[in-house]
Amino acid sequence: MARIKIDYAKCTGCRHCEAACSLSHIEGIVNPKRSRIRVFSKGDAFYPVIAGPFTDAKCTSKVTVTVEGREFDECMLCRASCPIKPVFKEPDSGIPLKCDQCGEPADPQCVKWCASGALTLIEE
Amino acid sequence: MGNAYAGQILRVNLTKGDWKVEELDMDLVRRFIGGRGLGGKILFDEVDPNVDPLGPENKLIFVTGPLTGTGAPTGCRYMVVAKSPLTGAIGYANSGGYLGAELKFAGYDGIIFEGKSEKPVYLSIDDDEIELKPASHLWGKSSTETDELIKAELGDQWRGVDTRVSCIGPAGEKLSRIAAIMTENSAAARTGLAAVMGSKNLKAIAVRGTKGVRLADAESFRAKVAEQVDVFRDHPAYGQFGTMHVYGTAAGMALGNVAGALPTRHFSGGTFEAAEAELDPQLMRETTTVRQKGCFACPIACKRVSKTTAPGFEGHGEGPEFETLCLLGICCGVNNLQAIIKAGFICNEMGLDTISTGVTIACAMELYERGYITDAEAGCKLNFGNAESMVEMTRKIGLREGIGDILAEGAYRTAEKFGHPEVFIGAKKMEMPAHHARGLQGMGLGYATSNRGACHNSAMMSSHEFPAIGTGTVTKGKPQMVKHAQELAAVVDSCGLCLFPTGVLMQEGILLLFNEATGFNFELKELMLAGERIWNQERLFNLKAGFTKADDTVSRRMLEEPLPDGPAEGNVLRLGEMLPEYYQLRGWNEDGIPSAEKLAALGLDHVKSSNKI
Repeated sequence: MARIKIDYAKCTGCRHCEAACSLSHIEGIVNPKRSRIRVFSKGDAFYPVIAGPFTDAKCTSKVTVTVEGREFDECMLCRASCPIKPVFKEPDSGIPLKCDQCGEPADPQCVKWCASGALTLIEE
Repeated sequence: MGNAYAGQILRVNLTKGDWKVEELDMDLVRRFIGGRGLGGKILFDEVDPNVDPLGPENKLIFVTGPLTGTGAPTGCRYMVVAKSPLTGAIGYANSGGYLGAELKFAGYDGIIFEGKSEKPVYLSIDDDEIELKPASHLWGKSSTETDELIKAELGDQWRGVDTRVSCIGPAGEKLSRIAAIMTENSAAARTGLAAVMGSKNLKAIAVRGTKGVRLADAESFRAKVAEQVDVFRDHPAYGQFGTMHVYGTAAGMALGNVAGALPTRHFSGGTFEAAEAELDPQLMRETTTVRQKGCFACPIACKRVSKTTAPGFEGHGEGPEFETLCLLGICCGVNNLQAIIKAGFICNEMGLDTISTGVTIACAMELYERGYITDAEAGCKLNFGNAESMVEMTRKIGLREGIGDILAEGAYRTAEKFGHPEVFIGAKKMEMPAHHARGLQGMGLGYATSNRGACHNSAMMSSHEFPAIGTGTVTKGKPQMVKHAQELAAVVDSCGLCLFPTGVLMQEGILLLFNEATGFNFELKELMLAGERIWNQERLFNLKAGFTKADDTVSRRMLEEPLPDGPAEGNVLRLGEMLPEYYQLRGWNEDGIPSAEKLAALGLDHVKSSNKI
């Protein structure tokens, strides 16, 4: 199965992936707010997050995630589209968005537009 | 079907505190593209070139290009246009970052600010919701503080993630003529337009957009960009292992030194002993660089995040660029890398142009060394190479403290104030960047003829000229090269692209992206003709503002004092050998005024052409 591998250290925060994703899912439109991959930043690092499944309940317990000594509110690294998080949803309708790897077989456009090597497609 | 333009211009009257949304004139963008071209045309049509640049009659225009926010490689730029308080000519400066794209996503190609607000305000745009919000509590804040405070004020963390801010720091508020408009440590730096923003009591613009940009031929555009990204990815200069990505713009340091094109000690020489040792990009990568960073849709990522730890110079921020290293460093005779980077951080926080600030400090250092500025006036030892004083001076300029109050006016006015205007190095009162006019004849011609003063981006000649192999010191053929480079840069600046990738995309690649995004189906010559039209339009503004042939020059020392070192040793800028041919190629008369035929050919003939323009 094909997977998109993310190397945080290589991400430059250019968000070209967001542009590519929206352009491949919406007829003729570039719109990062409707992208199924979003790049968040914390401190000096960038974190591309790919939209996972929709959940209709918000989390009832909070955890803190530590990555390389840096603490995160777990929401930022969570892939779910949920009631309290406005990302990974259509801005107008609120319809949740989920990565489909741009079809079958997988041909993710975010990987194609990523020049820094942060996103790669791997088979396993 | 879309055409890559948002189709709307927001016009904000700061005096009245109201705004209206106007439809974008599609005939106008077919002729002036967008960005710098469209902004310059609006300025020409709406602002009397003789107004006081810091008065309410001047207008401040933020404008994007058709490729901004489309996903075209480096399509992120927004251009700021106004009459410049530094030069008195047309002023324009562009910046990367994310704000330009966000403005398009919100549904606007540009914003025209008119008048002057009574109290400090900032403009908040959230798609169709527009508001002028009080900014008195932000006045005096640095650029990063302003950015954080506005994002916190506008909503929760998720809205904050999506909001982009462009603002002025203390330097712009205090009307420094070398102040820069900042957006997340990217600067629309040159020609002092942050002072225009400050004069209007406009602290910042905050934008959030959810509408997106609609393209004409999206399928083909997407495939084309994927192809181009493949080229970028493994490119030796711009790719993931390329010099610009790995070292940032500082990668040019050794080349500048070998070429003898560095601005050593206020342009007194062309080589610098520390350029390949203390200021080596590899050393910088090992000691101060935290990571590289890219503007929106940029496959290159030349920006640096840096950290300094040297005692007295501790800091964390973005930069330095090649120009920052050269002008705050080499031009001031400073070889202390951490001090230069720290000074760059301060410039970012204050909202200062690092080029103009570096040259202004260097100019003050020369005045000091020649005895024209005393210790008492300087408030410190201001000798070349004094890293502590250089860093302290950036802060003083930003806050207009002590002698900083004079230096905040720029190098020309500083030299004039101390009675020696001949010490100034630049053109049209704008400070010269880090590419020597004496070793690079084409660059020199570019400086002399640039519509915004000494500017290395109006004609990117440094990549064509290498004194070490003799191409920099010849004048033959340069007028034609400069003319073409000026028009190409005008096209790139108007499309909303960065200048760096033009060597990868090439004119044909830019044309392809432009056509697929807009659906205009231009031929290459039509696009380049638009570049020539834009150049001449800017020229007409300057002529009406009172500029003449006598202003198409650079500081006299570049023309008379031979370069003492490097491969271009003994050279002066031989402007006289190039300028008449340049005018002729441009279709201008011997006084540099466009002929009636040229204006007609460019469709600019509704403007009267006479010696009295």
